[in-house]
Amino acid sequence: MKLGAEVSKALRTVGSGGAVIYLTTASRVGKPNIVGERFITLFQDEYVLIAEMFAQKTRVNLNENPYGVITIAHPIKGRTWSLAGPATVLQEGHAPGARWEGLDVAHVLAEWGDWATKEPPSEVPPDIRPPALVQRGVIALHVTSASDFHPDRAGEPLPFT
Amino acid sequence: MARLTPRMMNWLTGLGAHIATASATGIPAVLVVDSASADTEDSVRFPLTEMQVEQVTANLVENPLVAIGPGGIGSVRAAYQLKGTGRIENHDLVVDIDEIYCTKPGPEAGLRLDVLPYEKVLAFEGSRWHDDGPPR
Repeated sequence: MKLGAEVSKALRTVGSGGAVIYLTTASRVGKPNIVGERFITLFQDEYVLIAEMFAQKTRVNLNENPYGVITIAHPIKGRTWSLAGPATVLQEGHAPGARWEGLDVAHVLAEWGDWATKEPPSEVPPDIRPPALVQRGVIALHVTSASDFHPDRAGEPLPFT
Repeated sequence: MARLTPRMMNWLTGLGAHIATASATGIPAVLVVDSASADTEDSVRFPLTEMQVEQVTANLVENPLVAIGPGGIGSVRAAYQLKGTGRIENHDLVVDIDEIYCTKPGPEAGLRLDVLPYEKVLAFEGSRWHDDGPPR
């Protein structure tokens, strides 16, 4: 599913205070987990990448139930999007040439494995900025379905193809 | 049951929440609501639209487990995750809270707060945040 420039712009983390999303996963037996994330980007128009900074339960969940949902948390106006699909954690140590859902793992890690250097969070206010950006990988979500979460349109498909 | 602090409740009632459920086979789904009210100190009521009731009922019937994150800028300013069980009552989603976690990035990310004495939770909040809810 190709998401396009509007989604790419909405997910950018730099400038204007950045964007925040929630990433929801669930355990194998269906216990959900929802965490806010702000180091995010759209990659190759159909993957959402998130810096993996010791998201402990998210990692456990994705290891046993590799599926996630992203919802835009802030700013939300006109962006009532819920993006879902297979998800995993990409990390150094993968087999050479490893691919996931069509992604070149080494390519992703080379480009986004050191988020703090690539996009320092200088716009994040000091009181909510992580004390240190310690990244151990990249969470990748391959967007295969998209729906609206506006209360009056909840669950309706979004016009991405 | 886990007792919410006034700050937690203020953020939920002020800006609503992202509410995660999952099917019995573990496929998650998320509702987003823009308001809430306190049923009790350990239970939160979220008004739903007809579409949201339709969207969430199937999951709740087969699996009542729910996870909640504060909405809007509360996603970073009120870095909590609440977990519990949900049920539909008269077009409202009522969630009884069983677990409360801090999700503030840093050393306390993932810290479970509801296992602490209530006074210590209040003291923790006071040491980490200077507001008592969203801007009015």
